[in-house]
Amino acid sequence: MSEIDQFEEFGNPIKEGRKIQKAGKQTVFTDMNAMVDLAFLLLTFFMLTTTMVKPKIMEVVMPVPKDEDRPADVQPVRESRAISILPLPDGKLYLYQGLSAETVTEVAYGKEGVREKLQNLLPTIDEPVVLIKPHPDSNFRNLVDILDEMNILGVNRYALDDFSEIDREILAEAGIDIIENLTTEDQ
Amino acid sequence: MNRPGNRRLKSPHLDMNPMVDMAFLLVTFFLLATTFKVPEQAYVQLPYATVDVDIPEQRMLTITIDQGGKIYLHLSNRESRPEWIKRMAMSYDLILEDAKINTFSELPGFGMSFEELIPHLGKERTERIKVKPTGIPAESDNNELADWVVLARAVQPGLRVAIKADQETPYRYIDKVIKTLTSNNILRFNLVTEKRDQYE
Repeated sequence: MSEIDQFEEFGNPIKEGRKIQKAGKQTVFTDMNAMVDLAFLLLTFFMLTTTMVKPKIMEVVMPVPKDEDRPADVQPVRESRAISILPLPDGKLYLYQGLSAETVTEVAYGKEGVREKLQNLLPTIDEPVVLIKPHPDSNFRNLVDILDEMNILGVNRYALDDFSEIDREILAEAGIDIIENLTTEDQ
Repeated sequence: MNRPGNRRLKSPHLDMNPMVDMAFLLVTFFLLATTFKVPEQAYVQLPYATVDVDIPEQRMLTITIDQGGKIYLHLSNRESRPEWIKRMAMSYDLILEDAKINTFSELPGFGMSFEELIPHLGKERTERIKVKPTGIPAESDNNELADWVVLARAVQPGLRVAIKADQETPYRYIDKVIKTLTSNNILRFNLVTEKRDQYE
């Protein structure tokens, strides 16, 4: 067997050369395992702690309040131009035009729901004004969703208003019951 | 004697250099890309919107409202914070010690009434962490939030106000904050959101 090995060594000039180098010069060998372990530990740590998504901001401009003791039920917008959007608790959303209970319709959030409805409705009204009146028990996501639709549709004339008694009456007239969250109302 | 056996005894040598290079490259990348989050007292799950404007890091007053309606404040500019609390204390006819003012500047935000805040600033750091925030009062008869906001605008020119609330925070609490802002003539403010796609 050794004969064959010898033969191989003589037959391969590169191998021979290496052997000579190894014998003549000692290569310094450092154990890099610890360093590699540390590198991967740091890598894992930074990968897990990094948050790539940065928060964004949405600007909201409120109308100038006319008077502090302005009665809440007075509509500052002409009836024929107004579209009211009412986000209600439990993710329900209603929409009506002017002050008429006949036009009350339930819509869904999102592309097929409120966006499509407004896309059809807005061109039919001269200078439309959208009034967003969130119910006190609706949540922040509902409000952001509607404001976002305003941005997507490019509606410039919109206002954030209070959910008033009139809205309650109109919804009642249209036969819609609002499930009031009495426990939080008491606070 | 038998060659296969001999070969197995040799330790296999794997060239790990490219892998190590890669690992360090990634470490460097993540090291530089990371912005450490300041620890917040309130954890909020942000709502999604299509807007694509990054939140400014300077001159921001963030009003955080958690799910239960507790209000927290955070002023981005550290150098304005001492003046902020000094003026707040002045309205209560109080003069604060420098140590307390320094502690206040170091806080990542706060969520308690002024009455509770002053003894809170005197505590040790380990004690402070244990305190459960009660929220800044914003009731119509005791609206401290309004005082803080007005003073923040006075000490920090060009201040922008942002409302950061949880997806599930009831609108009644948001409304309270918005009413506070509008009654103090802040009609332009921001809502903090997270990016989503328009076509979802």
